[in-house]
Amino acid sequence: MISMPPTERDLHAYVDHQLSDADRQLVETFLASHPHVCAQVRAWQQDAQLLRAALSGALQQPANPELDPAQIRRRLKRHSRRQLANAAVLLIAVSVGGLSGWQAREMTFVSAQAPMADALQAYRLIAEQGILPADYKATDDGTMQAWLDRYFTQANRLPDLTGAGFKPVSGRLLSTEQGPAAMVVYEDLSGHKISFYVRPPGPKNFMLPRGSRSDGGLQAEYWSGGGYNYAMVSPSDTPAARMLRQTSQF
Amino acid sequence: MNDIDEQLREIIPRLRRFAVSLTRNASSADDLVQSCLERALSSWGDKRPEGDLRAWLFAILYRQFLDAHRRSRRYARMLEFFTGGDDAQPSVERTVIAQSTLEAFDRLPTEQRALLLWVSVEGLSYKEVAEILDVPTGTVMSRLSRARQALRQLSDGEITRPALRRLK
Repeated sequence: MISMPPTERDLHAYVDHQLSDADRQLVETFLASHPHVCAQVRAWQQDAQLLRAALSGALQQPANPELDPAQIRRRLKRHSRRQLANAAVLLIAVSVGGLSGWQAREMTFVSAQAPMADALQAYRLIAEQGILPADYKATDDGTMQAWLDRYFTQANRLPDLTGAGFKPVSGRLLSTEQGPAAMVVYEDLSGHKISFYVRPPGPKNFMLPRGSRSDGGLQAEYWSGGGYNYAMVSPSDTPAARMLRQTSQF
Repeated sequence: MNDIDEQLREIIPRLRRFAVSLTRNASSADDLVQSCLERALSSWGDKRPEGDLRAWLFAILYRQFLDAHRRSRRYARMLEFFTGGDDAQPSVERTVIAQSTLEAFDRLPTEQRALLLWVSVEGLSYKEVAEILDVPTGTVMSRLSRARQALRQLSDGEITRPALRRLK
């Protein structure tokens, strides 16, 4: 039983229907003779009512099939074998930082399908859409190599593309199912972009024969060396893509 | 299992509404709901407590939002991408232009929005909210009181405006 006059907490509990019937009666009697308090309580009640009305529309959204429990169960099952790998990925993603982990998680789902699909995905996210900001911006020639060396000591040297007008401008660390990856973006004076992507070959030590493929308007040249897998990505059918294809050695 | 799915299907619209009120963006809200459901389904057996299923799911979703939000602070651009902007804090200027309860609600800080939605809209008990936030019931009540005052002040903007006009 609450005591009179009701405390502010009692009044909130009254508004929220969290008082016993007897207490509710007591508060109502009190409010009837205290118009000032009553106005305050009615205002709270009105706000709650307006809020309920305003938010009721949000319950009427068309269903999203992606959110159906059966669908989610199927997805969970499909990915359960990868869960261990994903846990590791998310861990790295957290240390790499931010919601990029979510993006990186997406990337891990496609990585198994085609060689270096993650490099293409990274190009789209970073070079095309600018969704992930750079971790490092090059100040002058040579600093980008030093940045990369901090993470990938044994890796192939960054290719020198100055002959074609491209210079390394920024770098970004990413996480993938195969381990931490880095992507360096080259840019020429007119803003065309080429990416250099390096990551470990993964737990199965999967080394790639030298190859090339295009996918969704992008072209990737890939190869292995020094214990890592590499890809260079550029938009297909551009002078840059032809240049990459003709360069036999990076 | 089908029984569980039926229960979940009934709650999903409420989860989506709650997620939109947190993220203010429909597609990132659905991402949030999806990862909440994944978490719920994969830890169903050992973690699901007795009591209101809705409250348990709200708790999972809220924690995931806070975690993502906290981590994303380091990447301001990502934050904009996911939520369409930083938390809007109430200010004098905004108070004057608040036009409806919903607008006022949208300007409240995250926890106050969550509290008002749980208590005023979803009708959860103080005890359930206390369990979600992992604080004593008394704390819930004082935070709720502050949230209500803030909503009241912001909604009162409506009344301020005609008064200002009369002064001209």
